[in-house]
Amino acid sequence: MAMPPAIETVDLVKEYGDLRALQELSLTVEEGEFFGLLGPNGAGKTTFINTLVGLVRKTGGDARVFGHDVEDDYRQARDAIGLAPQEFNVDRFFPIKEVLMHKAGYHGIPEDEAAERADEVLKRVGIYDKRNERFDWLSGGMKRRLLLARALVTDPDLLILDEPTAGVDVQLRHDLWELVTELNEEGTTILLTTHYIEEAERLCDRVAIMNEGRKVTVATPDELKQRGTDTIAVRLESEPSTAPDLGAYAHETTVSGDRLEVRVDDGGATAPRLLNDLEARGFEIADLEITRTSLEEIFVDLTRSEDRTVTRSSAESADGESAAEGREPEREQEGVA
Amino acid sequence: MLSVGFRALFRREVLRFVRRPKNTFMPPAITNVLYFAVFGVILGGRIDEIAGYPYILFIVPGLIVLGAISNAFENASFSIFHGRWNEYIHETLTSPLSYAEMVVAYVGASAVRGLVVGVIIAAVGRLFVPIGFEHGLFLIATMVVITALFAGLGIIGGLVARDFDDLTVMNQFILRPLVFFGAVFYSLETFEQGWQVTLSLLNPMVYMVDSVRYGLLGHSDLIGVGVLPAPYADFAPLFALGILTTATAAVLAIDVYLFKIGYGLTD
Repeated sequence: MAMPPAIETVDLVKEYGDLRALQELSLTVEEGEFFGLLGPNGAGKTTFINTLVGLVRKTGGDARVFGHDVEDDYRQARDAIGLAPQEFNVDRFFPIKEVLMHKAGYHGIPEDEAAERADEVLKRVGIYDKRNERFDWLSGGMKRRLLLARALVTDPDLLILDEPTAGVDVQLRHDLWELVTELNEEGTTILLTTHYIEEAERLCDRVAIMNEGRKVTVATPDELKQRGTDTIAVRLESEPSTAPDLGAYAHETTVSGDRLEVRVDDGGATAPRLLNDLEARGFEIADLEITRTSLEEIFVDLTRSEDRTVTRSSAESADGESAAEGREPEREQEGVA
Repeated sequence: MLSVGFRALFRREVLRFVRRPKNTFMPPAITNVLYFAVFGVILGGRIDEIAGYPYILFIVPGLIVLGAISNAFENASFSIFHGRWNEYIHETLTSPLSYAEMVVAYVGASAVRGLVVGVIIAAVGRLFVPIGFEHGLFLIATMVVITALFAGLGIIGGLVARDFDDLTVMNQFILRPLVFFGAVFYSLETFEQGWQVTLSLLNPMVYMVDSVRYGLLGHSDLIGVGVLPAPYADFAPLFALGILTTATAAVLAIDVYLFKIGYGLTD
């Protein structure tokens, strides 16, 4: 019998009045996967997670964790999950070791074993010497570590990390990365939400990009990068008066001074043809450089909201100057042929 | 029912108030020393016996009820509301405890606090006047039921409250007037008008105070005023306990339902 997926949602909907926080979201995370959930703030990542653990009631659709329905079999579903949330929602009445013991206890782990596990996870995240302190006395980084320890103390099959590295220092970020990679190698399924693209690229087997409560795409980080275009930047000996009219392979041609930028699908394969075409039109080439689109740019592209369409204004406008004041000189606005 | 998870939550809830005696047990002890000293000794000496008991003795059961139920209410409402406020109630909500287990653990621990406060008040009272223990089992049953009832109401309060002021409002403006008009400081038999008795009988607090008084002193106003028709008049305390038990069961069922739908707990 095939193992059910760690997470499976079908047409999941969450509405807050008129606001649709999740819109028919269907997503599958396989057992053992390291899965990333990317999206800008307000994309619905946390709502999605909270639906799984029971902090948000879904409006429609289905959600299962290891085959257990999150409402009908809520106890089994919740028992499988360890959640390190974004907010510091920790019991402030007790020293942190006891907080962990309580959490383990709620999951049916007897007291002696809970104490051992609490020590173990505190050592694992590196705050064992703070075990008798209360949460409020910990530094920001230690608080983050404690959230992870609390998620681990129940030995979950599915570890959910909601923005675990938001606002943490470099050292802690790397420690966290190392630890979660280790856990994943030991067989724990991991769902990570982040808006740091680098983090997803580095850790995740697959990522889902979300925007406005919808799934935009699901792919491996490599596949995503394939989807991006390359930019061939050419420096010309003399400034062209207008952007040259190239073939259909040039998705976008931009002129700024003596610099010509052409967006194409595959920079390496297209460059010779571009050079030929430019020379045929009488341009003299001084220099050439090819850059791949970063995952970040692809991400921005995919999550751009529908109403903010690309401006296709002409090159003649005085935008060159006015761009300096107030708004970012976006590439699309610098003059597009 | 007594799963490891349930016991862990119950234990957590009990430890929370046990480790803060200055906030939980000292105030009722001190308040009641004052009550007994002022109402019992200083004023009580000028008041005639009520229902055949010295005044100071007559008010002991009411003060026990007052302390026990307000502490049970306060504990449950505070624990739930504080957990919501700081969101650490998520630790419970994301756990594989059943909703009934969660409710019974919160209610049970809060009832324990109410019972402990009841014992403290009895002990304070004992310093001023010898207190009997006429119907022990009945007394214990009543105390368990009424502390559970008010712990259950406290859960609702904690779920409904939007800020800490709401909790104060519930305690000061609802609980306290009911208690003061609940025959703590007087006997229903002192009323000369029938409507005064009838009105009092609509106050649930009357049944609690009367039941505890019956348990401790063996005296019941409800028997005296004839709540039940003649041949059954002596069963009035059991009748009261029956009403209270039913009310408690209903409130706990509401608590479980609220947890199930996530009222005040989930988005």
